[in-house]
Amino acid sequence: MMEIGVAGELLPIRESLAREVEVAWGRLASPGTWWTGSERLAIAAEARHAKNCPLCQQRKAALSPYTAAGEHDSTSDLPPAAIEAIHRIVTDAGRITERWILSLIEGGEMPVLEETGYVEIIGVIAVLTGLDKLYQALGLPPRDLPGAIAGEPSRQRPQGAKRNLAYVSTLAPEDVGPEDPNPYPVHGDKNIHRGVSLVPQEVFNFFDLDVELYLKDHEIRDFEHDFRAISHAQIELIAGRTSALNGCYY
Amino acid sequence: MTDQGAVNSVPHGEVLMALVEAVHVGEDAAMAEARRAVREALGDAAFVDACATIASFSAVVKIADGAGIPLEDYKEEATRDMRAELSINEFQS
Repeated sequence: MMEIGVAGELLPIRESLAREVEVAWGRLASPGTWWTGSERLAIAAEARHAKNCPLCQQRKAALSPYTAAGEHDSTSDLPPAAIEAIHRIVTDAGRITERWILSLIEGGEMPVLEETGYVEIIGVIAVLTGLDKLYQALGLPPRDLPGAIAGEPSRQRPQGAKRNLAYVSTLAPEDVGPEDPNPYPVHGDKNIHRGVSLVPQEVFNFFDLDVELYLKDHEIRDFEHDFRAISHAQIELIAGRTSALNGCYY
Repeated sequence: MTDQGAVNSVPHGEVLMALVEAVHVGEDAAMAEARRAVREALGDAAFVDACATIASFSAVVKIADGAGIPLEDYKEEATRDMRAELSINEFQS
C-alpha cells in the first residue's frame, strides 16, 4: 500500500491505483491520436468549464435539448463542433442521439468534426471524469491540469473500423489490423470496451485506469476472491447506485 | 436499481449509499459527513476503494452514452422484464 494525503491525513491507496492515476494525468497531457497534448488539455479544461455553462443548464432543463439555442460559455478556442460535443457529453450525455452525432461529424450547421476527433473527445472526458470524481469523493480539490507534452498526433485510423455496433464507428476484435494498437487481449472485448475503439489508444487510456478504479474484466465475476478492501457486494451496490444516479442504463 | 432491501442486505450498505448520494449532489457538508461515516464503519482502505468505484461508474457512462453502444445480448436477455416494466425501450433515438 502507498499513502495519499487528504486534508492533512494519510490514507492507504493501492500502489496500482496510485500508479494508474499518475499515468492517466500524463496521458491527458500527451499527444493523442487525433489531438495534440495542448488540445487534449483544452478539451479537459472545457469539460470542467461546461458544468457551469448557462446554455447547457437551459438545455438540461428543457424537455428536448434541441429547443434551446444560443452559444456555449466556452473557455477555449477549440472548433465550435468540438465545444458542442464536449459540453453535451459532460452535461447531458444520456440524451445523445445518433442523429446529433452525425450532425457534428457530417457537418450540420457547424464545420465538420472528424468522427475520430469526436471519439477521442469521449475518451479524454471519460478519463478526466474518473480522475476528478475520485478526487472529489476522497475530499481532494480538483487537481490542476498538467503542462502539455509536445508532439504530433499519430493520426492512425484503424482500416477495419465500421459503423455497425454503436452511434460511432468501432473496431471489432476480428478486424484489428497488425498496425492497430490492440486493447482487447488486455481488457476484454465487451461492447463497453469497443465504444471508443475507433481510437484504440483511448481504450487503453480509459481502461488502464478503470480496471484499478473498479475491477479487471476477469475479476468482476470471480466471487471466490475479493480484490479490494470492500466486497463484491459492496462494490456492485455502489456501482448500481452510481450508474442509476448518472442515468446509465448500459 | 438499489432498493432498500438490497441496501440492507449488504454490510454497511447504508453508509456506502450515503457516500454515493453525497458525492453525486456535491454538497460539502454532506460529503464530509458521509466520508467520516464510511471511514469509521469500514476503515480507510475501504473508503478509498469505495471512492474509486464511484469514480469508475461516473466515468464509464460517458463512453456508453457518448458512443451510443448497445447492451450485449446476454444483458438484454437478463434485463428484459425490468426494462419492460420501466418502459426504458421507449427511449431510443
